[in-house]
This record gives sequence, structure tokens and C-alpha cells, in this order.
Amino acid sequence: MLVEHARTLLGIHAASHAEYDHADADNPRVEVVSLLACALTESQIEISITPHTLLAEIHAGETRRVERTHCSYGLSPDFSHIASQAGMRVSAIDDTGEVRAVERADHPFYLGTLYQPQRTSSPKRPHPLWVAFARAVTA
Amino acid sequence: MSRSITVLMDLPADNDSHRFTVDALAHAVAAVGAPVQVTIVRTDVIGDLGDGVVIGPGSPYRDPAAAEQAIQTARARGIPLVGT
Repeated sequence: MLVEHARTLLGIHAASHAEYDHADADNPRVEVVSLLACALTESQIEISITPHTLLAEIHAGETRRVERTHCSYGLSPDFSHIASQAGMRVSAIDDTGEVRAVERADHPFYLGTLYQPQRTSSPKRPHPLWVAFARAVTA
Repeated sequence: MSRSITVLMDLPADNDSHRFTVDALAHAVAAVGAPVQVTIVRTDVIGDLGDGVVIGPGSPYRDPAAAEQAIQTARARGIPLVGT
């Protein structure tokens, strides 16, 4: 989602994900999504939710919550500013200040997370993000 | 009217992230109580995106360009989209 945003809306045509598009002399790239210094596999992180965002609405104004993560890649610190450009906004950060969720103000339901809300869902306590998504689909 | 969610995910069905994603969607659909068909689609065979799109975990994708095109389409058409 971040690479599409960078390429299509910000005109950073060489934007890439660290897992793809290996650079060489004929193929320079701009690594928007990079390998995290500390891979967050099977980890818990505490996120701070940005007030007045879709994510804040989903979590009924909750400002802090613990989520589980299982990823090794994140928004490159050199490009953290793009998460607040061209209609995208930051929905949540972690305790290191890194972007953990983004959304779009110009879209009915566009949400990208650098954590896995599915890992804390259960039949009795479905994760609010997925419930909100299902509601958006059926609206 | 039945709605559809397309989950773009290349991970095998026995992968933890695959299972968590499918299960969480099932929990959410049950909570909403509306008929929703959830379909898992590999990125190299993407067709109609349906009424909602999930960009599932598990990169690198088989076809990252197709996944990016799906994101662009969902964004431009206002189709509900979640990426995790």
C-alpha cells in the first residue's frame, strides 16, 4: 500500500519494497519499505492511536492498545513523511515512533497496519478492525 | 444481498498467518451477521476484486505488480481495503 501510494500519488516511480526490485546500475530504486532493524516476528507491540482517525473510531476512542505483529519490514525512516502526504495519514505509531498504521482521509475504508490484528481475534471477541471492515463491505 | 471479500494471499493454508487471517474474517462476518463470501486468491491469479479487498500477509508475493494494481484499483474505486 505504501509503495503504491509512493509510486502513483507521489510520483516516486522508483519506490520499492526491500524484498523486490533489487537495485543495480541500470535499476536504481528508492527503498520506501525496508527491513526493520529488529524484526518483529511473533511479538507484541503497544501502539498509540491518532485521535480523530478511522482507527480511533474503530477502537471507540481508545488511544493505546497492544497488538501482535509478525513482520520484518516497515516504512523506511527516510520516508516516514510520505505517510502524511497525498491523502494518507498516520493512524498509529509504536513506542519508537515508527508508523504502525496508515489510512486515507479520501476513502471510505482504507487501512494498512504493520501489525496483524487477525492474531488477537477470536469468535467471542472478534477484532474491532475486522468487524469494521466487514461492516464497510456490507454497508 | 450477498457481498464478497477477496483476500490476496500466497501463503499456504497451513501457515499461521493464513489461518489467523481467514479465522479473523470469519469472526467478523459472523459478528456482522450479513452474508459475505470470503475468497482467498493468489496474487498471480487475481480476478474480480469483489466488494472488499484484503492484502494478506506473506510477502514477497508471487506477483507483486498485480497486488499493487489491486491496491490501486481498490483505492481509486473506493472499495474497502485492509492490508496487514
